[in-house]
Amino acid sequence: MRGAEEDLKKLRKDIIEMVYKSKEGHLPSAFSILELLFVLYGDFLKYNPRNPEDSNRDIFILSKGHGSQALYAVLAHYGFFERTNLFSFCKFDSPFGGHPDRNKVPGVEASTGSLGHGFPMALGMALAFKIQNKPNRVFVLIGDGESEEGTIWESTMLALNLNLDNLIVILDKNKSQYYAYDHNHVKIWKSFGWHTLEIKDGHNLNEIRNVFQEINKSEHDKPKIIVAHTTKGKGISFIENNREWHHRALNEEEYDKCMEELK
Amino acid sequence: MHGRVKMRAQFTKTVMDIGEDEKVVLLVGDIGVWGLRHFKEKYPTRFYNIGICEQSMMSLSAGLAMAGLIPIIHSITPFVTERCFEQIKDDFCYQGLGGNIVSVGSCFDYAGLGCTHHCYSDIAIIRALPRTQIIYPASEIEFDLLMKQTYNNNKLTYFRLPQKKHSYKFSQDQIKFGKGIKVSEGKDITVIAAGPQLENVLKAKVDLENENIFPEIIYIHTIKPLDKDIIRNSAVKTKRVLTIEEHNILGGLADEVSRNLEDMGGVAISRMGVNDEFITDYGTYEEICKSIDLTPEGISKKIRMMVNE
Repeated sequence: MRGAEEDLKKLRKDIIEMVYKSKEGHLPSAFSILELLFVLYGDFLKYNPRNPEDSNRDIFILSKGHGSQALYAVLAHYGFFERTNLFSFCKFDSPFGGHPDRNKVPGVEASTGSLGHGFPMALGMALAFKIQNKPNRVFVLIGDGESEEGTIWESTMLALNLNLDNLIVILDKNKSQYYAYDHNHVKIWKSFGWHTLEIKDGHNLNEIRNVFQEINKSEHDKPKIIVAHTTKGKGISFIENNREWHHRALNEEEYDKCMEELK
Repeated sequence: MHGRVKMRAQFTKTVMDIGEDEKVVLLVGDIGVWGLRHFKEKYPTRFYNIGICEQSMMSLSAGLAMAGLIPIIHSITPFVTERCFEQIKDDFCYQGLGGNIVSVGSCFDYAGLGCTHHCYSDIAIIRALPRTQIIYPASEIEFDLLMKQTYNNNKLTYFRLPQKKHSYKFSQDQIKFGKGIKVSEGKDITVIAAGPQLENVLKAKVDLENENIFPEIIYIHTIKPLDKDIIRNSAVKTKRVLTIEEHNILGGLADEVSRNLEDMGGVAISRMGVNDEFITDYGTYEEICKSIDLTPEGISKKIRMMVNE
């Protein structure tokens, strides 16, 4: 576990580096999902980084595309491409944009950015696997703010009616949505008839693993959602839960402070 | 109303044939379920009545395409184009995926239902998206052949099915994706017609020829990509071009034709269609056509004016 903690510090540093160098990005939104992606790619998702198009792979779609920096760092960590490439983030000819592009980055399954698109696209992929009689699973990560989009609720009803038990939604409840309204996502998704689980601390690797394992073991003939309570900007004291930082560049002094905290 | 039944019936026949391709999945937005029941019976795992949620239907269809399938998405024109424009843009065009949208009730076909059910901007908005193709067939054979020619070419293809048809009979080999059809030779003006309005243009031609005005009539079923050559070759000869379409005069066939003639000097261009205003009257399709001069008389008048100017 100690190794994992070190890896996560390294990934956070990589993300800071990307955002600092480019003066672009959504740092807090990337930090809230980092542990979730780290465990998903580390222990649960089936894929082959040397053959990202492997037809037997599971699918992961980052519906809240502005968290792309976490996805890039994790994909590099698990061997999809060289880590050093990350630092071209948001440069003119870089494959790594502020929102991910499936046609440029190995391992990115869907180009996302506008909220409420990745979720229904994930339904389509899950339905395709059913039509093709394939066992592949589809994971999709949405934000709590994103859950205000109407397509999320259209798709929530649809997934149940289409019996998509191969669809697993992860909701990053990083509380940015509290700026508008808070919703009881667990209660709501349960009431829609989904198999609903909760991660109380979305940065606790043991808890994330346990809940993902529960999904693996469950035989529920239903789509599944994991509501993960996270901290926006997790890991940097002055960025955590600080709304000023949602879409802000780091100056040199702030960069140094971040690196000091991640020592 | 007869025309609508025929075009929809052709849709059900054509998809039965295309459905033999195991990649094809048909998705409808709670319309046409009865008409498409044979498809559902024959291909039960590849027919979905998704319900009344066109935006999610569009994104979900893009997800099917990501997994290698070929979606055909069917609903009423404004709901399957304007309502889910961003889904078409982001989830099909930007991703680089192929799929097919087949709409019914084009322009003011649903005359009595008012502006929410009219659609005169669909061609304009879809035309403005990269990686799109726009096919506007107004007879059964056109739809059948053009859909079979294009459904799997990995572009987003929009088929706009009108309620009315024209009665002109094409031979099979005349109908090729991306190619216009010269319906009659002429010398005084090039009339470029799309959709059912070909019928009114052909009627106008009879009167005009009695007055020694000879229009060259070009019929366009593929709006994008437009057959540039057929239009330029005619415009060079006649020096006058009139476009006729059931669409806003902004953004549709007229703009696509003008764009392709903009470097040619000395050609007078004019356009007929919906004059950039909402049609707030009800009544019938014919009454609305008459109110915006889309009649043999209205078209003749316009052509006379252009030729005599």
